[in-house]
Amino acid sequence: MTGAAPKRLPLLRGLARRPWFARAIVIAALFAVWEIAARWFVDPLFLSPPSEVVASLDKVFGTRGVPAALQLTLFELTVAFGLAVAIGLALGLAIGLQPLVRRSFFPIVLLLYGMPQVTILPLFILFFGIGAASKIAFGVTHGVFPVIVTVVAGVQNLKPILLTSARSMGASRWQIFRHVIFPHMVPSFFAGMRLGMSGVLLGVLLAELYVSIAGIGYFTTLFTQNFDPTKLLGLISVLAAMAILLNAVVRRAENRFARRRAE
Amino acid sequence: MADERTESPLPRKWSRAGRGASRLIQAGFLVGLVVIWYLAATRWGVNRLLLPNPVAVYDNLLDILRSGEFVGDLQTTLGELAVAFAISAAGGVTLGYVISRSRYWIAVFEPLFAAIYSIPIILFLPLFVLFFGLGPASKIALGAAISFFPIVINTIAGFGNVDPLFVRVARSMGASDYHLFRHVLLPAASPVILTGLRMGFTVALLSIIGSETLASLAGLGYHIVHLAEAMEMARMYAYIVFVIAIAVALNAVVSRLEARGKRD
Amino acid sequence: MATSEVAIRVRGVFHRFGEEGEQRFVRALVDTSLDVGEGELLCLIGPSGCGKSTLLNIMGGLMAPSSGTVEARGQLVHGPLPRDIAFVFQENSLFPWNTVIENIELGMVFQGVAKSERAARAAEALAAVGLKEFAQHYPAQLSGGMRQRAALARALSLKTPILLMDEPFGALDEQTRMILGEDLSVLLAESRKTIVFVTHSLGEAVFLADRVAVFSARPGSIKQVIEIDEPHPRRPEFVTSAKFTSLRNQLYGLLHDEIRKAVQQSSAGDTGRTGMGSA
Repeated sequence: MTGAAPKRLPLLRGLARRPWFARAIVIAALFAVWEIAARWFVDPLFLSPPSEVVASLDKVFGTRGVPAALQLTLFELTVAFGLAVAIGLALGLAIGLQPLVRRSFFPIVLLLYGMPQVTILPLFILFFGIGAASKIAFGVTHGVFPVIVTVVAGVQNLKPILLTSARSMGASRWQIFRHVIFPHMVPSFFAGMRLGMSGVLLGVLLAELYVSIAGIGYFTTLFTQNFDPTKLLGLISVLAAMAILLNAVVRRAENRFARRRAE
Repeated sequence: MADERTESPLPRKWSRAGRGASRLIQAGFLVGLVVIWYLAATRWGVNRLLLPNPVAVYDNLLDILRSGEFVGDLQTTLGELAVAFAISAAGGVTLGYVISRSRYWIAVFEPLFAAIYSIPIILFLPLFVLFFGLGPASKIALGAAISFFPIVINTIAGFGNVDPLFVRVARSMGASDYHLFRHVLLPAASPVILTGLRMGFTVALLSIIGSETLASLAGLGYHIVHLAEAMEMARMYAYIVFVIAIAVALNAVVSRLEARGKRD
Repeated sequence: MATSEVAIRVRGVFHRFGEEGEQRFVRALVDTSLDVGEGELLCLIGPSGCGKSTLLNIMGGLMAPSSGTVEARGQLVHGPLPRDIAFVFQENSLFPWNTVIENIELGMVFQGVAKSERAARAAEALAAVGLKEFAQHYPAQLSGGMRQRAALARALSLKTPILLMDEPFGALDEQTRMILGEDLSVLLAESRKTIVFVTHSLGEAVFLADRVAVFSARPGSIKQVIEIDEPHPRRPEFVTSAKFTSLRNQLYGLLHDEIRKAVQQSSAGDTGRTGMGSA
């Protein structure tokens, strides 16, 4: 990374040395291109400039049913995440702690992890209906696998000397789990949670978009069919912001935890 | 030494039995699942509309393969995949190389790309559909957009992390820019780039099938939805198995290519 | 030695890893017998791979020998004896997510020490090894030598009569070893524990031990036991004395051929089998 700018240089040149500043310029430039293209070059049926999108956000929220759909989506995301983490932790521990169980079931887990789950999305909707249950379920199946895999890895890469040492001091199996295996595994678990959140976001949003007669999917379909790029962009931006925020929350939790331990 | 210290006091026979036992358990688990499926569909009265008879699914699968009705959809999907990947690979590697030439630009763009990639870009599908319509163009555009990121991120990492020592040595022997690229940078960076290309391919396939499922008139993903809406459950299950098999096969081929490329 | 004076009695221990015919088959120890007296410091020294660490683990109940018996303070050893035997390992065995003092107290939790006593014992042990100011540090923040001191403090806080140390200073540089060796000698002179200490270093063995058991190359057995008759605590001047040099030379003479043999073994992939062609 660049070092601190010498104080003699004018402020602008100093700022330009910082990558974050250049990044902000790049992002601003992209928005500018978008604005110009949408205003003067592209048919307004297909694209809206960001200025209009922002101005019309209140209309998006004003559309009946949109706030409720957004709230429901947020609800589905949090529930799916909680379930994915809890189930993933439980399964990960069950698989990781016992060598025979791990050798038998971990390959199955990996197989499922690599499967293109989007192919069974219609099945989920048929099974669970068009309500929140199917979205949550689909989110959980996307988010649970990274958690399982990282928990298993965390339990696996424990240095054998630490187990030997604990054993030599008379630790019981429960004590070994609570005082050695668990604290060791926690950082991997947090990394898994971060990946799990990405998975949950993908699963829930995919399911929402698929169901075009209720929820967010209804409105994306509506705005698309009505050729209303302004409202469509507005809605999608809100969802994207939700995704960015949730990711950031989980990442912040991971960093705070990692800072405590200087491994 | 480490071996001696950490040998566990488990009786030797137990750990040897483990190897065969795990295979048995896996086989038993999978067989058990199929058995439960069969019983649930035929004896336990689970709604036939949700869970078709596995035998019927199998028959449908054979029929699909025999009749070749998948060919059109397969062509559509693979065609979209090929174009999307070609675009993202060419664009991603080129842009990645250009950015990697400067530490500064790496620091500017890499976090930007990583941040964008961390959200589900398929969210923007409705926009692409609005712009390009329900045809292949929107799938190609989305597929290219999504798979662009792992490729560019990995390319930046690959070229950016070449040990400067190698560059110094080559320069000291008089290497030109072209020599440097072809004989130092490219070989050093290619393992990481190949991984990025593999990831991009996988992600492109997933997003194309996904966008066909969400909003399309043709393609493998679309066909599954079509069968679901027609409530042809056994055939839908069969088609799902077929598509998963295709995806797994494609991924296996790409992984093999990646490994091959790394070996040389 | 009379039974009451024997802290650890090793009888006829054989140990092998893997089965004959397997690639990883190794004959580590053959027919090893040894008595460790109460309150003595016995060093096990020998070439790489001669089985001295294996013997230490067997003595402490971390491994069961393929055949033979070990008794510690009269009871048969078939598992760890946390109240009688404490270990110090060469590898860093402190838990990285705990501070130094948390590590020491955790050892006592495992052993079963009452909560009220733990803080006092931990402080005492830390003071004994000179790490009082580092109680709240994490192992990653300490140097290698300090980490081993902390590991030693943890073992001391368990107040076991027997201490088994497996090349505790092996990963440290020469100067740190020297200092730690001197400090250890002072510490142990006061505590009267029975200690078995594995090392590679001739000087360390002569400086610290009452007796030194010299191992042969693999398959390991005890070639000879040398007595070192010098009062504890050993003073730094001992190292430069003629007595030290002659003892060290004696050890060297015993070890040199074994070390050569061990080097040949490792390059030829010998597993200690005798009279058999390659599989």
